[in-house]
Amino acid sequence: MDYKAIYYIARQELVINIRNKWTIIFAVVFGTLVTAISYFGMMTEGFSGMQNFTRTSASLLNLVLYIVPLVALTMGTLSFTGDKGSTELLFSQPLHRSEVVLGKLIGVFFSIALSTLIGFTLAGSIVIAANGIDGFTRYASFVMLSLALSLVFLSIAVLTSALSQRKAKAFGFALFLWFFFVLFYDLLALGGTLLLKGKAANTFLFLSLFGNPVDMVRVATLIILDNVTIFGAAGAAMLRFLGGQTASLLLLVGGLFAWTTIPLLLSNILMRRQDI
Amino acid sequence: MIQVEHLIKKYGKFTAVNDISFSVKEGEVFAFLGPNGSGKTTTLKSIVGLNIPTSGRILINNLDVQRYAKETRQFTSYLPQRVVFPENQTAREVMRFYCRLRKLPLARADEALERARFNGFSDKLVGEFSGGMVQRLGLAVISLPDAPILLLDEPTANLDPQGVKRFREFILNQKENGKTIIFSTHLLHEAEQLADRVGIFVGGKMAAEESIETLQRTYLASRTIEDMYLHYVGESTDED
Repeated sequence: MDYKAIYYIARQELVINIRNKWTIIFAVVFGTLVTAISYFGMMTEGFSGMQNFTRTSASLLNLVLYIVPLVALTMGTLSFTGDKGSTELLFSQPLHRSEVVLGKLIGVFFSIALSTLIGFTLAGSIVIAANGIDGFTRYASFVMLSLALSLVFLSIAVLTSALSQRKAKAFGFALFLWFFFVLFYDLLALGGTLLLKGKAANTFLFLSLFGNPVDMVRVATLIILDNVTIFGAAGAAMLRFLGGQTASLLLLVGGLFAWTTIPLLLSNILMRRQDI
Repeated sequence: MIQVEHLIKKYGKFTAVNDISFSVKEGEVFAFLGPNGSGKTTTLKSIVGLNIPTSGRILINNLDVQRYAKETRQFTSYLPQRVVFPENQTAREVMRFYCRLRKLPLARADEALERARFNGFSDKLVGEFSGGMVQRLGLAVISLPDAPILLLDEPTANLDPQGVKRFREFILNQKENGKTIIFSTHLLHEAEQLADRVGIFVGGKMAAEESIETLQRTYLASRTIEDMYLHYVGESTDED
């Protein structure tokens, strides 16, 4: 592996994305939403104004689960199905294809990370000013999980781009996957439990969690926020099934790691046999 | 230096390149001449390792391009047909990026920009450049490394007459420096002026492979190079 070349490609990708108006628009929109949700997010629960870190994280969770996968899929697809003339020039350099892909992936990841971190830092600073640093570790863990989610969906974008090759097809595929994971998957999983009975239904439901990185981040965040009781008895049963809080968290983080590496490995195999 | 042996490239049922074999010697300028869709680009991209051949093999300095893709690309510098650079980067940033990838001193980027007469435009964004300037930047990028082989796909396609003149100077200069050059074109006079040998592509096959002298001796005494070309691509001229 030529780590220097990977670094140069990542840096170039980061610079291009930072100068791109869409990245700036995303950072501004995300920052505004994060700040607004931090302030208004708990109003329906009877809390008003800026909350502490734990409540802020809980409020932001749904926003992250909707927006981060969409942005990662979009930016990943844009980067990996770029103009033919620039892709060909880059891939004609004395580098392995995997080095180019890894460099681009890291660059896009850091540009998404930068955009989201601006929002999280903004909200975090206001929370500190209003309520102190109580619960900051939980908030930081939630931010890390959000970044992990963006990395997972970037890897998926690399795979869908390798499978589709053409930009329009890759975008269609990416959009379908967003709908599937963010909106349809839970319905499918619940539908599956109707076909099973008793313990089998429970086992199926708990295992189905690992089939969707969005759900994995949702559950991991709720565990971190000590909020898994929101699921009631089912939440307690799930924690028991997965082996307690720490074991569950480790399993979920391991699952997210697998969701990042497997699509990348598959795209590497695909790209070795593909024309650029 | 470059050996292409029984190269076949199929896209589904369509055969883009059909059993092509040829070799190019060190320091030679070889032109791929043929109409659009005749297999020139596919062959060039296979030589760089961007396309995976269906069968056949390509050797660069006796190394198989498929097995030693990274190593063989050390010997080549390739200009795609429609080269594109990030619009929000300056010419200097682009050049420095490719300098770093090729592990060259950054001063090389400035020298190349100067050679390509980018004075005053080096720190302008690529998005402000005309098509011809982008192509010139592409030529500057491929002249950066010490790669002994230059591969250029339709390099004059976006150039105005002045740009074409500069391109000719560029090729002749690179030839003087001992580079081996393959370029594709559908312009007969370009091949005649710049190449030592010509491969005529027709329907995915190489219909003829001749030196410019032989072509001139055989055809140009009585006919134009255009007649010769049309003879190979299978179209008759009414004036004959």
